[in-house]
Amino acid sequence: MTTRLYYDLAALVVFALVIVLGVPALMGFDGFELNTFARYLALAIVSLALALSWGSAGLLNLGQAATFGMGSYAMAMHLKLKASGEALPDFMGWNNVPELPLLWVPFHSLGFTLLAGLLVPAFVGGLIAIFMFRARIAGVFVAIITLAFLVAFQLVVIEQQGITGGQNGLTGLAPLSLMGWTVDTYGVGFYYLVAGCLMAAITFGLYLTHSKFGLILRAIREDADRTRFFGYNVANYQTVIFCISAALAGWSGMLYTLVLEFASPTYMSVSFSLAIVIWCAVGGRDSVIAASIGAIIVNLLEGRLSDVFVEGWHLMLGVIFVLVVMFMPRGLHGLVSDLWQWLRRGAGKQRNSSPVPSVGRQPVKSGQER
Amino acid sequence: MSQLQVTNLHVDFGGLRAVDGLSFDVAQGEILCLLGPNGAGKSTTLDLICGKTQPSGGSIRFEGTDISQMLDFRRARLGIGRKFQVPSVYKELTVAENLSVARSSRPGIWYALTRIALSDGRAAAPILERVGLETKANDLAGNLSHGETQWLEIAMLIAQDSRLILMDEPTAGMTIQETERTAEIFRSLSASHTLIVVEHDMSFVRTVADRIVVMNRGAMLAEGTIEEIETNEEVKTAYLGH
Repeated sequence: MTTRLYYDLAALVVFALVIVLGVPALMGFDGFELNTFARYLALAIVSLALALSWGSAGLLNLGQAATFGMGSYAMAMHLKLKASGEALPDFMGWNNVPELPLLWVPFHSLGFTLLAGLLVPAFVGGLIAIFMFRARIAGVFVAIITLAFLVAFQLVVIEQQGITGGQNGLTGLAPLSLMGWTVDTYGVGFYYLVAGCLMAAITFGLYLTHSKFGLILRAIREDADRTRFFGYNVANYQTVIFCISAALAGWSGMLYTLVLEFASPTYMSVSFSLAIVIWCAVGGRDSVIAASIGAIIVNLLEGRLSDVFVEGWHLMLGVIFVLVVMFMPRGLHGLVSDLWQWLRRGAGKQRNSSPVPSVGRQPVKSGQER
Repeated sequence: MSQLQVTNLHVDFGGLRAVDGLSFDVAQGEILCLLGPNGAGKSTTLDLICGKTQPSGGSIRFEGTDISQMLDFRRARLGIGRKFQVPSVYKELTVAENLSVARSSRPGIWYALTRIALSDGRAAAPILERVGLETKANDLAGNLSHGETQWLEIAMLIAQDSRLILMDEPTAGMTIQETERTAEIFRSLSASHTLIVVEHDMSFVRTVADRIVVMNRGAMLAEGTIEEIETNEEVKTAYLGH
């Protein structure tokens, strides 16, 4: 346990160095290039949010895109109001909306927007979680319920054209001004804003997984009933991690709107939600750092592949996912840690010439059956 | 006053009456052994007390509080611990982490959020020493042998420090030496804890039991000390048939 903490801290430092120095240096501190990478970093946050609920607590949330979308729309609403000035946002005019809907009014304030981008997803996630976990729903049913919610939520957003911009989403946004600084999406400063957010999110996630809270979640993942007989209110623990995960997804959505300068209902699509699961699985859902790296790698690959194979890259992504699930159920993180164990055991064998019995020390293939 | 009072307890499983009008009391600090042939309702009785199963009728009072409709985790908070027949440790956690989960005197979320998990690993050392697992603290529980797993479970019960501990066949699969050591630990526990033990090993029962309740077909057949039970004619009939 202690050693694991040191590994994770070392990994955090290496990851931070790569993100803060390595990548910008590689791109020659060019804001335009870095913008693409900032997009990956923003998506890494939603991937690590899923790692917290799926990896730590075993709750596969297929509705993660819905909470991501809420954050994204919150930010877009604020920026749309800024772009429109005193006038009504343009699409409302096209939809014959006479005056600014009440829902939009508080989004004039940036403070409210930032809070809403975190708290609305957390609240909605918490509401679903309370109903599910009080009733002791678990396993695949959590995935089904959250997926159903996602589909319904996306439908509502598309239907309510006058408020949400419908199928077109919210476009023509103003740049964000943060305490007097007008954020230039193609500047180096913006890259560091996103990178800072990701590092903060990872540090928070690491703290959670190493706290007693994280330990109880792992206990619940393995045997919820046993954990109840120790006096833990399992439903509350699950609800809290669901809220935290949803809030982080909202945060990721806000950054994503800043990167792409629009919000679209495709952010709440089933395929996007499944993509998050793929990133998380490829990186390794046991670790928030690994899940972030998974998001970055898959999106990087996607960017490169979709340039070369315009039609076929979705297929390739699918094949990669199938291979990962079949051959590395714990993702890249599992592969690396198995390799590390194997190297260490090899080194140990060389030192004491007598072979150490290694039966029963095989790495536990956790999560294969889940 | 008795710590646990079970009064006229009933439970039905789809027409099968697994426990039928069972009543007994357990005093503070007592070791009560539940005996009976297979299907007598012993495990079900433990399930009813810890909240795994809801009773169809009757009442269970723990230290004066009626707990018969209370949720399982709330009963655990009141001070009722349970060891299951199948060893149930967390195989993907280390031995020290298992004990950290078991140490649940403060099960609230806020407390858990503000504690780094490894900090109460050190507190586990004396308990691990007591059951002879001190060198295994950082091993995954899934890598322990069957006997060690049993010891870990007993260590977890000690760490949980429940006032009333329910044990389902704690010595199943143990060697004679291990059984003797378990009996010793039970006797030392009984100073501050009450134990209800379901057990088939009569020599073990003879060493630990203060009192015995014999069940048959969901009801109490006999109650008393080991001598009284061993000479009871009805008990002999129930076990040997006819």
